[in-house]
Amino acid sequence: MYSWIWRHLPGSRAVKTVEVLLLVIAVLALLMFVVFPWADARLPFNNVTTG
Amino acid sequence: MTHVLSPTRDVPPPRRPGGGVLGVIRGVGELLITLGLVVLLFIFYEVYVTDWLSAQKQHQATSTLDQQWRNQRGLTDRPIEGSGIAKIYIPSFGPDFVFTILEGTTPDILAVGPGHYVGTAMPGEPGDFAVAGHRVGKGSPFNDLDLLASCDSIVVETVNQWFVYRVLPLKGEAAGWSAGKGASQPCTGAGPLPGPYRDVVGKEVVLPAQTEVIAPIPGHPGVTPPADEAKLITLTTCHPQFSARERLIIHGVQVAQYPKAAGERPAELTAG
Repeated sequence: MYSWIWRHLPGSRAVKTVEVLLLVIAVLALLMFVVFPWADARLPFNNVTTG
Repeated sequence: MTHVLSPTRDVPPPRRPGGGVLGVIRGVGELLITLGLVVLLFIFYEVYVTDWLSAQKQHQATSTLDQQWRNQRGLTDRPIEGSGIAKIYIPSFGPDFVFTILEGTTPDILAVGPGHYVGTAMPGEPGDFAVAGHRVGKGSPFNDLDLLASCDSIVVETVNQWFVYRVLPLKGEAAGWSAGKGASQPCTGAGPLPGPYRDVVGKEVVLPAQTEVIAPIPGHPGVTPPADEAKLITLTTCHPQFSARERLIIHGVQVAQYPKAAGERPAELTAG
């Protein structure tokens, strides 16, 4: 999977490194701001009220 | 300088088999490792990131409330949901334990701080001032609620008043109260309550559907409170920790009330 991504990134080694960093940041942002808040709302221990 | 250690330095490594069964196995392995890392990251998010996010929101809510109190503006008897209404101090959790309580108990509001159940009494009013708060993550204001003992003070600050509540006697403590723990000085006024309140204890664990714990007479919904209705506080959070199976409930009774004077803070904040 990772070697496939690396092979298909355009540019030289240095350019690829930057692209990988950007990809990692994009994935982290997606997780932190979209996926995790969504999953968080479904966790049991957020239910602190009665009724 | 020797080149013996890296004889193949400039030679590209032989390409590993990328296709076929081996490739699929490697891809699945990488995927599983990635998912494991994502789960670890999610735990980090739950334990730390939600705390940071909530701390910022709580800070914002507190400064808004402070400003309203200073300017005496934007204050109503029935505040809109999401706005700050009071501050809660629990001295036995440390001198820095203070949270701004907001009106309402939706998930978005509880992510900012403890939330006041809409429709229950306001601080100082006869009835039950009921507040819910997170136990895990989101600042976890009510993380240590299970550590509260009878007579521990819960101090609520509003725009112009301090209200001191004390945790009621726990289950089994009511018998022999006045000769036992009740004789100690901090417990003055925090003894077992009379009449319809006699089975209200300081701490209980109930099922999530048991809304009667935040009734004016906890445990007795629909019963008309007496004319001399007690002024109670009820705190609710999830129980056991990390679970939603039950709710942990703390009941306290108001024992003192002081008008706010500039720079003065009630002795209970330091004495407990």
